[in-house]
Amino acid sequence: MNSRPFFVLTCCLCVVALAMSLYVWQLRKNAVDESVPAASPEAVTTPSNATQKQIVLWVAHDDSGTLSSQPLTIAISSERQRQAEDIVRALLGVYTAKSSPHPLPADAAVRNIYLVDPGLMVIDFNSELATGQTSGVFAEELTVASIAQTLNANIQGISRVKFLVDGKEASTLAGHADLSNIYDIAQFSAFAQRLSSQ
Amino acid sequence: MRWNNSAARFILFLGAFYLASMGLIAQSSTPAMPSAAGSASQPTPPAPAPTEKPLLIVIDAAHGGSDAGALLTPTAVEKEITLNVARRLRQELNARGIQVQMVRDADVSLSADQRATIANIADPALYISLHASSLGSGMRFFTAMLPSGGDNNGPFLDWDTVQSLALERSKAIQAQLMSAVQQTRFPARALVAPLRPLNNIKAPAIAIEISPTTGDAAQVASTGYQQMICSALANALLSMAPSLRTTVGARP
Repeated sequence: MNSRPFFVLTCCLCVVALAMSLYVWQLRKNAVDESVPAASPEAVTTPSNATQKQIVLWVAHDDSGTLSSQPLTIAISSERQRQAEDIVRALLGVYTAKSSPHPLPADAAVRNIYLVDPGLMVIDFNSELATGQTSGVFAEELTVASIAQTLNANIQGISRVKFLVDGKEASTLAGHADLSNIYDIAQFSAFAQRLSSQ
Repeated sequence: MRWNNSAARFILFLGAFYLASMGLIAQSSTPAMPSAAGSASQPTPPAPAPTEKPLLIVIDAAHGGSDAGALLTPTAVEKEITLNVARRLRQELNARGIQVQMVRDADVSLSADQRATIANIADPALYISLHASSLGSGMRFFTAMLPSGGDNNGPFLDWDTVQSLALERSKAIQAQLMSAVQQTRFPARALVAPLRPLNNIKAPAIAIEISPTTGDAAQVASTGYQQMICSALANALLSMAPSLRTTVGARP
């Protein structure tokens, strides 16, 4: 039996197999490169299509135990979900500043905001915000209510709000304010309006 | 013969059915048309006199065990302050003839569900959850901010919104309590809060957060300040006793 044609055929098949392996490896590498990186505060940046817009922040004041509205002009994204994140970051910027009326740690941040369902907004804090928050029923409620009311004042169509910490459900913010349930944003709005008038 | 036996049995069955039916009809009509002789021989027993349920207040010292709560000062921990205030308030209320049940009387860990279960089994006229904070001034009285949804119209109650049945009474008690405390010139505010287990309590429920009036958080841990607060609260609750007794009977 002549083994030469068999040898050539085997070599050709090996070359084809090698080429296909390289092709598959290249495809896999491209797929990994194009995958979305894990969500982190650093990864979320204001998009280039941001425009300057005046928003209203509902700022908590620990000294007087009140909430007050104050206008602020910021660069804001055109996308609704990004808008919400830009607005909450602006509010946390007030709280993490040196002369803050409601101090939060400098690394307190919002990781993501999701519009899960028409009317439901899920706000995901980082754990630094929760651990650095002053513990207390009223202190924690001021934080939650100011964020909820700020979003309610600037983003249309939110009816309910849910808070997460580090992407997970948490029982409380810092030992008191309940985060395990979904709340009607109207309740926080009424709370904020009441505190603003006192 | 077989036919005759069957026919006889059928006729007997019809007769028995007729007599039984007539007996049932007569029995059911008896209470509506009692005869004079019948009522004389079998007098209706008198309805038992309504016994007034003693006024019971459940006091829940928040936190405890592994849950220390807020750190008001380096040495003042919220779980200890709430327990001390709860014990003083119990003493003051007992001295005024009001019964008290403590949810915890030691440094133990209890979940919100466990606290709610203890309170719901006790079925009190009022549930009070005690908290302490360094923020603000005086006392803050909270009623429950109920979660979204929940349906308490059927035979089963939604655990997360069961307080909706008593929320109006909770708010009325909150207003009375705040007014009574303010008359002593003590700073007081009435608010709502998303605070468990208030939403899980079926009785009227409020939370009280105690904070200093001087701006110094150490004041909350002082015996004199705690005693002053407990006396003011006990006097206020005693003045509200008639309305609290009303809520005992009004509960679902």
